[in-house]
Amino acid sequence: MKVKKTNYAVNATPKLQVFTEDEIEAIYFAALRVLYETGVRVYEQEGVDLAHSGGAIVEGIESDSSLVKIPPWMVEKALRTVPRKVVVAGPDRQYRMELYKNQMYFGAGSDTPFTIDPYTGERRRAVYQDVKNFARLAQALPNLDFHMSLGIVQDTAVGTYDRWQYLAMLEETTKPINITAVDLDGLNDQLEMAYIRLGGKDEWRKGPAFSLYIEPVSPLSHSEEVIQKLLFSVDHEIPFVYTPCPLAGATSPTTLAGTAVQALTESLFGIVLSQLRKPGAPLIIGGLMSNMDMRTAVYTYGSPEMALLSAGYTEITKWLGLPMYETAGCSDVKTYDEQAAMESAINIATAALVGGNMIHDVGYIEQGLTSSPEMMVAANETIDMVKRIMRGIPVTPETQALDVIDEIGPGGHYLEHDHTYYRFKEEIWRPQLIDRQNWEDWNASGAKRHGQRVRERVIEILEEEKEPILEEKMYKELRRICELADARHKDEELDMQLFV
Amino acid sequence: MSRLYERLSTAVLEGDAEKSPKLVQRALDNGLGPKEILDNGLVPGMNEVGVRFKRGDMFVPEVLMSADAMKEGLELLRPYLAAAGAKLIGKIVMGTVKGDLHDIGKNLVGMMCEGAGFEVINLGFNVEPEKFVEAIKEHQPDIVGMSALLTTTMRSMGYAIKAIEEAGLRDQVKIMIGGAPVDAPFADRIGADGYGSNGPAGADLAKQFVGA
Repeated sequence: MKVKKTNYAVNATPKLQVFTEDEIEAIYFAALRVLYETGVRVYEQEGVDLAHSGGAIVEGIESDSSLVKIPPWMVEKALRTVPRKVVVAGPDRQYRMELYKNQMYFGAGSDTPFTIDPYTGERRRAVYQDVKNFARLAQALPNLDFHMSLGIVQDTAVGTYDRWQYLAMLEETTKPINITAVDLDGLNDQLEMAYIRLGGKDEWRKGPAFSLYIEPVSPLSHSEEVIQKLLFSVDHEIPFVYTPCPLAGATSPTTLAGTAVQALTESLFGIVLSQLRKPGAPLIIGGLMSNMDMRTAVYTYGSPEMALLSAGYTEITKWLGLPMYETAGCSDVKTYDEQAAMESAINIATAALVGGNMIHDVGYIEQGLTSSPEMMVAANETIDMVKRIMRGIPVTPETQALDVIDEIGPGGHYLEHDHTYYRFKEEIWRPQLIDRQNWEDWNASGAKRHGQRVRERVIEILEEEKEPILEEKMYKELRRICELADARHKDEELDMQLFV
Repeated sequence: MSRLYERLSTAVLEGDAEKSPKLVQRALDNGLGPKEILDNGLVPGMNEVGVRFKRGDMFVPEVLMSADAMKEGLELLRPYLAAAGAKLIGKIVMGTVKGDLHDIGKNLVGMMCEGAGFEVINLGFNVEPEKFVEAIKEHQPDIVGMSALLTTTMRSMGYAIKAIEEAGLRDQVKIMIGGAPVDAPFADRIGADGYGSNGPAGADLAKQFVGA
């Protein structure tokens, strides 16, 4: 082939940049300094001892906790062994996430106390059936790649809801799942369930079928339960998300750079501890950082600061070579409406353009307190739309179409040309819920607003006939673990009365 | 003299925690009564803060600065008020319940309550039910405030209330609860006296409880 052009660069995907490399480096070195000079408080002795044996300074010892200071060399050492890529697959291996730089996957958020009833629109406490419904939506929606429990199951014993949530999700989806756990016992039970679902412990070792959500407490605190879950996950080859949720202005500096520094400090401690326990242990750092709304004192999920900060943090993780737990597809509304569409469109586009990996919280409304089926279904189409933008504009002789332009010439049209016929489906995105009819047709088809079309789609998916994913025998085996857990937590029946 | 009250109100409104005790001291030096200084200086300042916050003209960090200015002034005034036999608005014991380390929301309510003139004893986070019982015995509060962020820990509030009942102290105190996963029906179910949906609402509820 004759080469006539040199130094020709293409831009296959449009991109967004928040920081320069110098700024990222400055944030990283600042985090190293905080970890060394300010330190983090750890509420679990085993974690304190592990850090200490690895070279950390332990001081400020109190009855329940210690202040742990990590010298920079420990972090640098841990970063050499932490995996740059983490893979999480669905239970039958059909779906999988390869989490590393610029690989984009969208999925739900988890554990909202409330949900919006898909039929009545009422806001109420979430139950088992709601978690099933959301998993069914996630399975049906092509742009959702992983799933979390969009609701806390509140019609079982308080201390066992995590197993029931996992069961509800397994009933309806085969996509990779990011679980939550009430405690170590709950985590252990869910791991047992995964072994059963996969067909044995060896199958898990060939590739984990869920990741675990772990959330240290900002500012700079790592609770007993958090450290226990971290150590258990490392020991049992469970990839985990270690995501602080700092609230700029309240639990972290109001300046976004300061929040990024603090969040990174919190994440780096998780990395150090995991790599001390077992070099090569996989984790994903995050992830959810936003600001306090200073009028209402709530944690905002739809703010531009949330989108911007998450995007900036994604760049930091890319520079560090670590998978990132991003946030998008969420809003502060009380019920799905125009604001939800606006906020989620902005945060989805931002997360995608910057190259977030595991982008969660699709379906969250009301500051993460409520899950909305409409939010989830609408976001699926927004993601689709953004993915079209992500495909960019390839510039080749074929796409420039000089011969076609020449052939049609001035005053002609392209509608019946082969070039159009063969390429329009690929080139031009087609919406499903977005309406582009003219006024007469729109009116004739019922003059439905976007929200109404989204609601109808929710019901359509929920009522589609579908083969059950789990065979009866499998379902019973999994359910048995949940029931045994309930039996162990029988004494909490008093508590159940508090919720029902 | 009204000029001094006005300056004290302004110091509170502007969140000047250095100026407010100085102005309280000057008022005392000028022979003004402690109750008058409270009612005509500090309280009107804080009331205006409440009005402006609700209107959207003031924001949480500014309100907290004002609450701090109020608290500093009040602390200086407290022994004089006690000596004069003036009734203080009330005392609150509060904490984030057992198993939960999240305390930003509870602290916010605490600061708002201090701004409203309450004496607040903050027990911190991860507070065992027995700690609430001990604190009631020790401090004799009018109100107990409990908070939880997690759905796994919100039930601890029920346990704490039960412990207070079993200690025979339930009738001595009003109990208010708050936190993201909590709502008014939940407060009813566990036998609390009220639920505050945010910082200012918590302080308003406390004021209602003591009839202020």
